[in-house]
Amino acid sequence: MRIVDTKGQLCPAPLIAVKRALKETAVGESIMVLTDNQTSFNNVSRFLKDNKTGFLVSAAEGIWTLTIAKTSGESPQVNAEDYCDSSIAHFGKGNFIIVISSDKMGEGDEVLGHLLMINFIKAIKDLDKLPLKIVFYNKGVTLATNDSPVVEFLKDFERMGVELLLCATCVNHYSLADLITIGTLSNMFTIAEIMASAGNIVKP
Amino acid sequence: MKIDLLQMVESGGCSAKISPKQLEEILKYLPLPKDPNILVDIDTHDDAGVYRVNADLALVLTTDFFPPVCSDPYEFGQIAAANSISDVYAMGGDPVLALNIMMFPAAKLPIEAYAEILKGGFDKASEAGVRIIGGHTIDDYPPKYGLAVIGYIHPEKIITNAGARQGDSLILTKPIGTGIIMAGHRLGLANEADITEAKRLMKLLNKSGAEVMKKYNVKGATDVTGFGLAGHGLKMAMASRVSLKINMKKVPLIGGSYKLADDGCIPGASFRNLDYADEHLLAVEELDYNLRMIAFDAQTSGGLLMSVSHDKAEAILNDLHKAGLTSSVIIGEVIEFQGKYIHLEN
Repeated sequence: MRIVDTKGQLCPAPLIAVKRALKETAVGESIMVLTDNQTSFNNVSRFLKDNKTGFLVSAAEGIWTLTIAKTSGESPQVNAEDYCDSSIAHFGKGNFIIVISSDKMGEGDEVLGHLLMINFIKAIKDLDKLPLKIVFYNKGVTLATNDSPVVEFLKDFERMGVELLLCATCVNHYSLADLITIGTLSNMFTIAEIMASAGNIVKP
Repeated sequence: MKIDLLQMVESGGCSAKISPKQLEEILKYLPLPKDPNILVDIDTHDDAGVYRVNADLALVLTTDFFPPVCSDPYEFGQIAAANSISDVYAMGGDPVLALNIMMFPAAKLPIEAYAEILKGGFDKASEAGVRIIGGHTIDDYPPKYGLAVIGYIHPEKIITNAGARQGDSLILTKPIGTGIIMAGHRLGLANEADITEAKRLMKLLNKSGAEVMKKYNVKGATDVTGFGLAGHGLKMAMASRVSLKINMKKVPLIGGSYKLADDGCIPGASFRNLDYADEHLLAVEELDYNLRMIAFDAQTSGGLLMSVSHDKAEAILNDLHKAGLTSSVIIGEVIEFQGKYIHLEN
């Protein structure tokens, strides 16, 4: 495995290093790219996706690690999703999504229900594998606001490559657009598509 | 001591603009003032605002400032001023007055650098016939400089983003690639000749281009800056409710820009610009990846992108070449809006 350490480097130096490594690496080898810069991480990811080069992502303590498998000449074609679905433990993604449809967990006392939901979200990070995505709809979107008690946890998930999808209609309905800075606003078709194609759905 | 401003910044010049996506989000919450004398506002994503004073006179107002795009303070001043004034030219106006806007780390840089930046700005403004009559400085790191400029324009002769018409030819007056070249420069990858050429182009006023536009009564134009050729083209297409078809093979590039892009020297701003324009973009399947990214390369003090009627295009090109803008070339055409505002082809 070839390691491309771009920690401390700013855009576009990391991308230059990755392109150079891709050119120099033999088919079958893999490349591990390290970066501590969010912009560089985003741009290298976008570059790889645009060029249909499969890669896996893990993140810890402000360092992103992209593992690129070079499977063909110029543009290796590996489906990243397939990799995510497999059970490579250290990448930590399981074949499931989590759906948060309420700010409470279970039926009964409302205060207790809210507390349980907060504890559930905090507990996700201790699971053996992280979900591929977390989908929020209806009152669930209120948990993604900047003053939510779990917003820092959600930001961490996002950094670890878990996609957060928020129902846009719901965000507008509860007038939260100004209060949410994480995740991607999504429409019902996308949400339906993601739920229909998910391996498993975990719904607290 | 040699002062190298470039080592102080991650993204200099217009690359340092806030993401157009974020900007749009923020501006949504700011109500536009209602006043019949406001002839152009941000509604059409134009380069400058225009305010009517009377039937024959309107004021063009614009401001622009950014962190260093090159190492030398004097050159930085020249480039920043040329870039600030450019918005007035892009609207078809005559720049008249300006104020300096400066952020300077007094404790970190010798005061000579401060003087050099201002001198560069002053000299470039003088070349444009602009008098700088004041300014404002804040102690801040890294340095940033630019002008707030006022120009005159006849209220009925404003050139805007909304003036592109189906069938028009698109003319670009300067080669692109300043973002890539200067990023390469910072990393020691760009060659001297290309750096010199990029700086020459950034210092070049859009004055002569604007004069040609006025002569031929061009209605639609913009200057190509931080959002890149395709990004500014998008704003023009949206405002004019048309699609722009740009042939990237025809777009002139500065020196080794393509090679640098191919080596991965693609500044972050290109990704940001692409991200913004993605949903409005139709790129042909075989479009070269590097050319696609170059279309979104943030330009500092870039050229004019004009939409001119097809039958006048050759005459306009002739005049541009005679005026010294020898790279001016037709890069595409304006077509009926077809679901996507920007069409990129090889």
